[in-house]
Amino acid sequence: MNRIKSHVMLLSVTSLLAMGCGNDGKKETEDVPPIDSTQSTILNVNGEIFSIPSPIQTSWLLKNSGAAYSKTILNPANKAAGYSTNFAKGVNLGIYGADLGYVTIYDQTQDALGYLNSAKKLADDLGVAGAFDAQTVGRFQKNLGNQDSMLVLVGVAYRSSDAYLKNNDRNDVSGLVLAGGWIESLYFACNVYKAKSPNEDIKRRIAEQKSSLQSLIKLLTQFYSQPEYTEFVDNLNDLQTVYDKVEFKYTYQAPSIDPVNKMTIINSTTEVKITPEQIETITQKIKAIRDQIVG
Amino acid sequence: MKKGILKLVLIVGGFVMVNTTSAQVNDTVANACAKHLERQFISDGQQYRALLMNTEETAEFHTTLYGGSIYRIAACSGLSDGNLVFTVYDSERHLLYSNKDYKNASFWDFKINNTLDCIIEAKLNGEGGQSSGRAVILIGFKQQK
Repeated sequence: MNRIKSHVMLLSVTSLLAMGCGNDGKKETEDVPPIDSTQSTILNVNGEIFSIPSPIQTSWLLKNSGAAYSKTILNPANKAAGYSTNFAKGVNLGIYGADLGYVTIYDQTQDALGYLNSAKKLADDLGVAGAFDAQTVGRFQKNLGNQDSMLVLVGVAYRSSDAYLKNNDRNDVSGLVLAGGWIESLYFACNVYKAKSPNEDIKRRIAEQKSSLQSLIKLLTQFYSQPEYTEFVDNLNDLQTVYDKVEFKYTYQAPSIDPVNKMTIINSTTEVKITPEQIETITQKIKAIRDQIVG
Repeated sequence: MKKGILKLVLIVGGFVMVNTTSAQVNDTVANACAKHLERQFISDGQQYRALLMNTEETAEFHTTLYGGSIYRIAACSGLSDGNLVFTVYDSERHLLYSNKDYKNASFWDFKINNTLDCIIEAKLNGEGGQSSGRAVILIGFKQQK
């Protein structure tokens, strides 16, 4: 199989002409300007693209577990103004996205507005156009109290932000936003697990972060030579050493298909083995990483 | 000297134009694809795309789908449906789904009872006549009721 690779070509007058002639509108799948090398390398390592699950899903799990709303586990919204570097802004944009999802799921509408404004401020500071524009903020305000619509709008705003950063060859910042959201949601899960009587679903969710952490490390290692990333990636690698010992036993079972509803039901199962000591170490390490980020 | 400056201006100008054109194409395809998600599914906040230079190339996306959720995967290239063939495998490469079996459906839902690490492969539909293009994958989710 011939997997995608970066196609790096030097810019030339020929390519300019090719670009000028490319948009003839005859094909529905567009002809591709041959010099467009950056777009295929977005969060793309050796021809593979990694995705990090939305932090909103872990907040759902926490609420469904019966955990009460806790403002103390959030990064205060008023700290946004204190983040001065692009690194701090990027990673805290991700953190605030997870916080915004959390407060929305817990129907804390006033807090949601505060976190929306903090996310908007960081996105604006980073020059991310359009993701948190007046129209999006207006729609969010109009839908206050309508949790489903608010969550859809949060997802769209963050996807717009991700697209803008990728379109503008700022893959490092895009990766930081993902990392921030991931760290915050794992921090939530560890805190709630510690505060509540042991909950199997939360324990499992903590363990399930093993592959997401591997993906994050692969994504961010591309930028390892940048000073702020070096320590950050080292810390994630340190956390990975704990996850290396978390065990999974996957059992494949054929899926069921419901073609009328265009749905596949996945029947495979996975057993997870994680010890209380491992959870405790993960809790400590993720707190230390987050403390460094939120300041 | 003047020739050098002109060359530089051409290069920089060309680079800016190409990036702008490319971004617009990405946005157009992604916006068309997003219509398969919105209102019913919450976006995971990411836009996955890859440039496919021919019908043999395959883009590979790695993701985790959490138990207790229903996911929608939308896969697009160009502005009409059916231009992208996408296939979902588990981490052991067992085939879970291919839209090729369903008229290249541009979106499909997955009910996940147990968290699953999976691989999504996307390639251009060679039968549609496109020789190259941009693949966009979007993932949305909602809670199982």
